Amino acid sequence: MVKIGAVQGQILRVNLSTGQISLEAVPGEVYEKYLGGRGAGAYYLYKELVPGTDPLSEDNKLIFFNGPMAGTMAPGSNKINLTFKSPLTNTYSFSLCGGHFGPELKFAGYDGLIIEGKAKEPVYLFIQNEEVVLKSAKALWGKTIPQTNEILKAELGGDHNLKVACVGPAGENLNRMACITADWYREFGRGGGGAVMGSKNLKAIVVRGTKDVNVASAPKLANYVRELYKEFKAHPKVYARRWYGTIEMLEGINKLGFWSTKNFSEGYFAPGEEMIGPKMREQVIVGDGSCYACPIACGKISEINSPKYGKVLLEGPEFETVGLLGPNCGIGDWETIIKVTQILDYNGIDTISAGAVFSFAMEAFEKGIITEKDTAGISLNFGNGEALVAMAEKMVKREGLGDLLAEGVKVASEKLGAPELAIHSKGLPPATYDPRGCKGMALTYATSPKGAHHMISPTMGAEIAGDRFADVGKAGIVRDIQMQMALVDSLGYCSTMRFVYTVDKQVDLFNLATGLNYSKQELLEVGERILNLERLFNMREGFSRKDDTLPKRFLEEAMKEGPSQGQTINLQSMLDEYYQAMGWSEDGIPKEETIKRLGLY
Amino acid sequence: MSRKVLIAESKKCVGCRICEQWCSLTHFGTINPGKSRIKITRLENKGINIPTICTQCSKAACIEACPTEALSKDPKTGAIKLEKEKCTLCRKCIHACPQGAVSIHPTDEYVLICDLCHGRPKCVENCPEGALQYVPVEISDRLYRSLVVDETAKGENSRG
Repeated sequence: MVKIGAVQGQILRVNLSTGQISLEAVPGEVYEKYLGGRGAGAYYLYKELVPGTDPLSEDNKLIFFNGPMAGTMAPGSNKINLTFKSPLTNTYSFSLCGGHFGPELKFAGYDGLIIEGKAKEPVYLFIQNEEVVLKSAKALWGKTIPQTNEILKAELGGDHNLKVACVGPAGENLNRMACITADWYREFGRGGGGAVMGSKNLKAIVVRGTKDVNVASAPKLANYVRELYKEFKAHPKVYARRWYGTIEMLEGINKLGFWSTKNFSEGYFAPGEEMIGPKMREQVIVGDGSCYACPIACGKISEINSPKYGKVLLEGPEFETVGLLGPNCGIGDWETIIKVTQILDYNGIDTISAGAVFSFAMEAFEKGIITEKDTAGISLNFGNGEALVAMAEKMVKREGLGDLLAEGVKVASEKLGAPELAIHSKGLPPATYDPRGCKGMALTYATSPKGAHHMISPTMGAEIAGDRFADVGKAGIVRDIQMQMALVDSLGYCSTMRFVYTVDKQVDLFNLATGLNYSKQELLEVGERILNLERLFNMREGFSRKDDTLPKRFLEEAMKEGPSQGQTINLQSMLDEYYQAMGWSEDGIPKEETIKRLGLY
Repeated sequence: MSRKVLIAESKKCVGCRICEQWCSLTHFGTINPGKSRIKITRLENKGINIPTICTQCSKAACIEACPTEALSKDPKTGAIKLEKEKCTLCRKCIHACPQGAVSIHPTDEYVLICDLCHGRPKCVENCPEGALQYVPVEISDRLYRSLVVDETAKGENSRG
């Protein structure tokens, strides 16, 4: 194995069925061809998962993997990736989590962690450098995310600096939208990884690490980073994120008329004018928090003192959460949005997917498909904040209609006979950008290997700078940004970094840290390789062009009003163009020559 | 009184731990939070981050507590100096420190105490939020007083 700087070169494999814990060297090929993070996750899942595996069976795996940059001085480089087969989509899935959990695992001496099998009884995993043990989690079962954190800290000696990733009650009761939560408020959010962890009877992973992360050239990297700090200070996007977090995007998206409103039936939300960054800062933000080694601090601590709900303090809500629980449910007040966010966060549920299932239920209620009989008397109209809170509580407990909603919007809508009202691709609801107002996002949602996820290729910026309604020519933009994101997600960078330092600087930092000498082109090819491997995984599961689709609403219903009025999506011609750009067949299958060129066989 | 001391403002700290990185890098050439003398603790339940720093006490309790005379004052900076080979890891200094600012090296048998980077503390230089300052001891009371004044101004009642 070649010697590579910055990485630890080893992972832990924990088999919950047998209780066996083993230390495993990572083949050099994994770092060289896939880097780490999302790329390494794709490598291991493709290699190890038997096709057709039931995502909630003991045969599914949870592959946690840091990027090589984790724990180094490179700013904002500590997103740890989780790869698994999704119980929400039955596809390949991955999710990235910020905060401090990823670097702590690296400081404990491990680049990654593979969880397999299923424990007979609830357990948690405790990792402190070489000490790795499974402990009983019986006393933790049923506890919320904050309760689990508090109990674990007390049980493990009262140390405030333990880093915990755990599931809440939603993961335990196999809510298909359950997430895994680190540091209370940072999530492996999308795709239902929390349900996979819950199905394995694994409540939490607790890490404390005090080992070195050694880069190839520490002084050079430090000097480079010190110069980068200056760029952060001077960057207008950093200023916006520093003070308003991801909410800084709200104003622009709403003004352009593609902000998910009322179950994606509209694109402009008038009360949104009062929710923009500076107003949110005035009304609810009380503090700021940063992920490890990030000089931005886009995390916002919000607080409400509500006559209805009392005092609620949490980190967030992020822009996507606000979009899906706010306008998409017809809600424009912080009191409701923050309260529902708290219910979902404390119980460990992805706020995007949950928002989409609530907005679906609201539309179904207004159309008479579900009635007060189904909702146990709740008037689930758009804009009814108390109804949203009540339904969130029902979903958390899997009570009445909430039990069905916990299966996610695809299953719930099919069971209720209203699949046309469900907004998702492959079972995963999109983020808050209506793709009719930004056509590259249509292609992003449709071709994403994990369902309609925005960060596969967030084209909004590039598209707004050009013609956002054009569909011709978007395939190239989507392809390029998909390659860049696969790279960012595999190196461990937060996607926000790309506003400050471009791919060129990501390459410089990577080379200084690892001692390797990759060109930009070579690294982008790694991104391409990962996209193709992910595609091959889904192909093996039976997915193809027929599944690269969008809800009828996006394809056929023209935007009724606002700045994106009249827009629909010509998906088929965009798909043709995209498959060609990717070197895939008309059916969306990677061609032999593409596979060979990328060294995938 | 011409020596300078470290002060930290918890309210400004966002918990990025860049200070820990520079501390560890400067003293050990590696990144390891366990080798940093400054420590940041995040309390998620309160949404705050608290830096733990050595405050360079003039009559340093750690020095007084040390039974082997391993600790002394750097006459130039006023920082605590450790003679590693004299340290027995009895941990008396850890318990004596009113700030909780003494920690144990993760692999070697001695304690870690801030040495002010010989008068140019890297944590202060690289804190992106200005939450850490290195100021003359005689004005190190001013910031705290101002913060209390601000807090008092927010409430209806005066303090004291």
